[in-house]
Amino acid sequence: MDVKAVDKVYVGNINVAARRARELLLGKLKLGDVIDWATTFSLWPVHLLTSCCGAEFAATWSPRFDAEQYGALPWVAPRQTNFIIIEGTVTRKMACALRITYEQMPHPKFVIAMGACALDGGLFYNSYNIVRPWEVVPVDVYIPGCPPPPEAVARAIIDLRRKIREKKLASRWLIEGWRHDRDPVKPADDVCKWWRP
Amino acid sequence: MKPEELLELLKHALGGLAKEVTVRKGYVEVLVDADSVVPVANKLKELGFDHVKSVTATDYPKESKIRVTYHVSSYLREDLAKPILGLSVDLPRDNPVMESLTGVWRSSEFQEREVYEFFGVTFRGHPDLRPLLLIPELAERRVLRKDFVVKEESIYEGVPHRYQ
Ligand code: SF4
Repeated sequence: MDVKAVDKVYVGNINVAARRARELLLGKLKLGDVIDWATTFSLWPVHLLTSCCGAEFAATWSPRFDAEQYGALPWVAPRQTNFIIIEGTVTRKMACALRITYEQMPHPKFVIAMGACALDGGLFYNSYNIVRPWEVVPVDVYIPGCPPPPEAVARAIIDLRRKIREKKLASRWLIEGWRHDRDPVKPADDVCKWWRP
Repeated sequence: MKPEELLELLKHALGGLAKEVTVRKGYVEVLVDADSVVPVANKLKELGFDHVKSVTATDYPKESKIRVTYHVSSYLREDLAKPILGLSVDLPRDNPVMESLTGVWRSSEFQEREVYEFFGVTFRGHPDLRPLLLIPELAERRVLRKDFVVKEESIYEGVPHRYQ
């Protein structure tokens, strides 16, 4: 079939029609801005408690610090959330769970690494049983501290929101189909035994 | 019950089964041979020790032995629960095999799995002997034995993050 002819058909070929409609809405009509705006105010983290930083994570959403005011609500199911806060140390067994959770989330999706352990090992920097989270999933914002206070977690959420708005991460991810500002991360360690012959 | 009283009670009840019964600073230790661990455990259970608090192991590379210790206690008899009682078995370091005590105390099941993965001690008759916390590749390397050396640096710079 002639490609140009196909391009003009709006109804006959559903894929082409969908692509044209997407380009029109997202590109010309600036729906992308709306998507970015909507994403920044509905960042729902999935509950993936890997270590002791989880205590501060819980305090962040307690009435005193109330991170729900930023539109972030911790949710249980990965398929209805769009970002992960990695709460501390990631052991080798947990790295597989982290990767599976990340794969299950619909894009656009974002990752915040919390605590010294999630940055570069922290206390356990030479342990035989941990991995660095950035080897397993692409991390957007790091929070230093052991553990980081709830204010720092709230600050990281605000930083992530600004990053999404300024770089148009969410809308461009939807338009282009992949994350334009970074390469996808493939774990160097075969954490889940997926690519073993 | 004072530890000394428990010592007398145990010496009387176990008779010749135990190799050595000692008390030090309120800690009563019963050292037995690997063959007689199940009869001794049954005797202790008859006395009223109804659960295992922890199973642990100590590596002695110079003496070439691994000592597996069961800390047992009692829910039902409060007087028995006060002193700490350890049931220890010495095993050869190159082939540590012993009878599992899960048949006597069911609460030792997961803890025996931990000793298995960290020290390589095999428990005969264990219902489900798999690594619990580690991935299988790491469990094969017996990471809590003293000859497994973790890399250390005095100055923190660019740590190699895989230890193969
Ligand atoms: S950074 Fe500190 S508080 Fe957080 S997981 Fe590591 S040790 Fe625990």
